[in-house]
Amino acid sequence: MPAAARFPHNPIPARAGIGLRAQHYRDVLEQRPAAGWLEVHSENYFGAGGAPLHYLERIREHYPLSLHGVGLSLGSADELSATHLEKLRALIARVEPALVSEHLCWSSIGGRYLNDLAPLPYTDEALQHVRARIRQAQDFLGRQILVENVSSYLQYSDSTIPEWDFLAAVARETGCGILLDINNIYVNAVNHGFDAGEYLRAIPAAAVQELHLAGFSVNRYEDGEILIDTHSARVAAPVWSLYRQAVQRLGPVPTLIEWDTDIPPLGVLLEEMHAADEILREHRHACVA
Amino acid sequence: MPALHDLQCGFAAAIFGEGDEPFANKVRDGRFPGTRLVQIYRNNTFASLTAALEAVYPVVTRLVGGDFFRHAADRYIHAHPSTSGNLHDFGGRFAAFLATFPPAATLRYLPDVARLEWACHRVFHAADHPPLPLDQLAAVSPAQHGQLVFGLHPATRLLESDYPVLRIWQANQPDAAEEQIDLSVGGDRLLVFRRDLEIEFKRLSSGEFILLRAFSLERRFAEASAAALEEEPRLDLAETLRHHGLLGTIASFHLDLSCV
Repeated sequence: MPAAARFPHNPIPARAGIGLRAQHYRDVLEQRPAAGWLEVHSENYFGAGGAPLHYLERIREHYPLSLHGVGLSLGSADELSATHLEKLRALIARVEPALVSEHLCWSSIGGRYLNDLAPLPYTDEALQHVRARIRQAQDFLGRQILVENVSSYLQYSDSTIPEWDFLAAVARETGCGILLDINNIYVNAVNHGFDAGEYLRAIPAAAVQELHLAGFSVNRYEDGEILIDTHSARVAAPVWSLYRQAVQRLGPVPTLIEWDTDIPPLGVLLEEMHAADEILREHRHACVA
Repeated sequence: MPALHDLQCGFAAAIFGEGDEPFANKVRDGRFPGTRLVQIYRNNTFASLTAALEAVYPVVTRLVGGDFFRHAADRYIHAHPSTSGNLHDFGGRFAAFLATFPPAATLRYLPDVARLEWACHRVFHAADHPPLPLDQLAAVSPAQHGQLVFGLHPATRLLESDYPVLRIWQANQPDAAEEQIDLSVGGDRLLVFRRDLEIEFKRLSSGEFILLRAFSLERRFAEASAAALEEEPRLDLAETLRHHGLLGTIASFHLDLSCV
């Protein structure tokens, strides 16, 4: 008989939520903002105890939770880290997240970690490799994971598959879900000059279980600009437009406001969250009407 | 997957400025030269790893200043790259690195300040543990006291320095007033521990330090107490044990009934 769930709040509703960061633990516990759900970076809770897990478990009693990994290095040609997977599995058992996600990228090679989200070459070889690794991770964790599309600042000359087809193929062939980052689609569309609408249309709607929204920053050069996915600002207007398109195509999907650098007061995150909730609500009303 | 492996090795080498192969050739021609795009990833990697070090070592950062720290971090990241997808694991060799980093040679106390900050970092994330079961301890026959092996709480670290590292640490907190610290006042023996989730420090006497260090090495009480009393003949063993039992430093015990 499976052990009874410790936490009452599951699953994640088709509403907006916010990324929970340490700066906001006390505010969230005291104010209990009307966030539909919360997401944390898994690795911030890989420690054995102390304040991070203390606060996470208390907050978990009041909110559905998603675990979002930034360090599994799914696309690396190295072996998957057994230590990392074991810590993730233990954390999953401890806080009972409704969703567990990782990035469709690599961040280490030869045992050396860049601790950054580097893009994969979109080739048949990389597709086969990352498919096997996602299956391995899902088997080890005993559950489905979601994989997220990353921002990128370069494309490889080796790539033969459009990024959106690569992502769709990964989901189709592994049974993993998709965490579709709308900001990352926009950033890449600008940086690499493709049509964000074409990207959206290629994604299998049934696989998308979560959306991300965040703010980017801009590197300006004499000869142009590159958008950098810094999670350091409000969601940009064109990203809100793309989000509306995504909701129209995919239906109401749980949507997260991410903010990781220059983290503002909780109220700013909640304003962004309410804006996303409003778009989800409009969509529901439009469907009913 | 030779191509994927080679591409990732080439990318990483370009990030770390190694090798002769111009990785930018692997980058598809676009609006900007490949070298500039690779530079974005180099900046991101070094910025996030440097930020991780700064988060663990704020006092070292303040002592040496931001420019010096970033230079030291850059050298450290090359010499001891991150080996974990969990950034909280990064930086454990920074104190040892600083001890051999020529530009920091005149700051003799700096490595010990870094050791103290790493100890704080480890204590912050260490496991929780229930308090010492005093009733069970009281039930141990006095004849067996010498065979007791005490265990320290997982969220404790012991640190010994020839420099007044705790005063240096305290004087370099964000809200601390400026203070001249006389390095000749002597060293510290410290217990770093956690109370109500927050990091705290306690200065230890020399015998108290020897006793707790012996416990941390799982020495039996007979040997641990003999070593402590040799160091500090007037140490009140019963009071020291009581104090660290109540404080939570000592969190467990078992009996080692093997022959010596």
